[in-house]
Amino acid sequence: MKEIIKGRGAIKGIAEGEALVCPDSIQGWAGIDEVTGVIIEKGHVAEGTSIAGRILVIPSSKGSNCWSGHFNSAMINGVKPAGWVVSQIDSRVGVAAVVVGSPMVVDFSDVDPCQVIKTGDWVKVNGDSGEVEISRQG
Amino acid sequence: MVRLTDVEKAILRGDNGRLQQKALENIISYAEALGAQELCVVTKATLGLGAQPYLNNIQSDDYNQIFSRVYMCTDEVLDISHNKFSAECFCMTCTENCDTEDYEEVGLTKEYFDKNRRFLEVARAAGVSMASTCTPYLLGWLPLKGEHFVTTESSNAMFCNSLLGACGNPDGVEAAAWSAICGRTPKWGLHCAENRYASHEFKIECPAQSAIDWDVIGYTIGRLLPAGGIPVITGDFAYPTIAEVKQLFATIATTSGAVMCHILGMTPEGQTMTMATGGHGVKESFNVSTAEYQKSLTMLCDVTPGPVDFISLGCPHYTLEEIRDVANYISGKKIKSGVRLYLWTAYPIKEMARASGYLDVIEDAGGRIMTSSCPIMVGQSIMKQSRGVVLDGAKQAHYIRSMTDAAVYYGDKYRCIDAAISGKWDH
Repeated sequence: MKEIIKGRGAIKGIAEGEALVCPDSIQGWAGIDEVTGVIIEKGHVAEGTSIAGRILVIPSSKGSNCWSGHFNSAMINGVKPAGWVVSQIDSRVGVAAVVVGSPMVVDFSDVDPCQVIKTGDWVKVNGDSGEVEISRQG
Repeated sequence: MVRLTDVEKAILRGDNGRLQQKALENIISYAEALGAQELCVVTKATLGLGAQPYLNNIQSDDYNQIFSRVYMCTDEVLDISHNKFSAECFCMTCTENCDTEDYEEVGLTKEYFDKNRRFLEVARAAGVSMASTCTPYLLGWLPLKGEHFVTTESSNAMFCNSLLGACGNPDGVEAAAWSAICGRTPKWGLHCAENRYASHEFKIECPAQSAIDWDVIGYTIGRLLPAGGIPVITGDFAYPTIAEVKQLFATIATTSGAVMCHILGMTPEGQTMTMATGGHGVKESFNVSTAEYQKSLTMLCDVTPGPVDFISLGCPHYTLEEIRDVANYISGKKIKSGVRLYLWTAYPIKEMARASGYLDVIEDAGGRIMTSSCPIMVGQSIMKQSRGVVLDGAKQAHYIRSMTDAAVYYGDKYRCIDAAISGKWDH
């Protein structure tokens, strides 16, 4: 079963991978382990899961002014999401987008990707066309 | 496609050198990611520099290489020391991870201290002024109404947007560096008038008469504010003073992502409710009740009384007036043996405290005035084997909990000084 949702391409390129959906985003400070990429935010829906190689699906950023810096550190340590799907971009996400450089689609007007996409779905992010293709079993 | 001016095209061509060219390339990518159509001129910047802990991810001792990789996001090694930052943008350093003069006192090594000074020296050569404070507005770094700024300090962003009417987004250390270097940022978000209106009202129905009241009010507003919201504060209260508003802005930005807040009748873009909301009204109203205030206090201060040995005042950095208040209160008293009492401020303000006689009074009582940093910036080393930590800043109390197993107490500066004298926290 395939579904395509359309947003705006923020970082060009095409990436695909298994979705990791974080409807409450990930906090900057003490959000991810910058060496392993594992989410360490206490009580987070995906606590203990690594962002490495995943398609990270978030509504926007959360907390820390230097949100991008935590993803920057993780990337320098060789850990980064393969692509991003962001409901509505904000300035912190915009910087993280450039710093990490993975394909990103943002600003969905008629659907909320955090609702449509489920963790474990196979997602193809097209930062050139703004299309996000979701494949799931059944 | 981002529209560029002739000056921007020249920077992009490399007319001002490779460093500014790369910075502008990054700013343009950032603008494209945001969907911004043009850039605006940035005239003020504060930047966290020196040997910040996240630089340790790079296995190198060459600051040019480290700076290029971490801040400029390139494997190309850019020569920072021989390439000036933008002349249009006045850039000062934000807080460091060490006191300006003393590393042993805060549990750091001479090796770290020397590395920090060496890294800062490179930034100084590139044209960055040395201030090393989270309150640059106390030192004359003041972006005024309509001026565009960048900063790595969220409480400073909140202060400048809200109280001064200047324009800045929360965009982190990398983008702040790009902007300080090329003097541009995307014209997007809080740089545009239509995005600066209040979305949520907060009616003050709790005590609002002291720095700690406003500290707790800010913490509470941030807790209740939905993501992406901009608060407008209403109610029957005397307008907060500089020492009070400084606390308010620091704590809203601790528990939320907001960097703009209107105070009805006080802040320049919130003179009336129509002005504050752009005539659109607010989406939701909250009461900052005494119950919510107490709930915040409970989150910040441990309930079980106990011995204390580490007392830290000044988050954000103290004004000279606050240092004077401490000196007046502590004059003739002595803090308990084995207890450390620190006041944190900017080093020029420490000099003013020295000239005014406050430093001698505080040192005679056994206290110290520390500069350019704070416990959460220094990290765990500063607390050594502390059993009880006492703080008068909610931002500090919020973050320090993840750094220590010691009891954490929070209260106004006078109560904190009493604890330093008695060596215990009583309820």
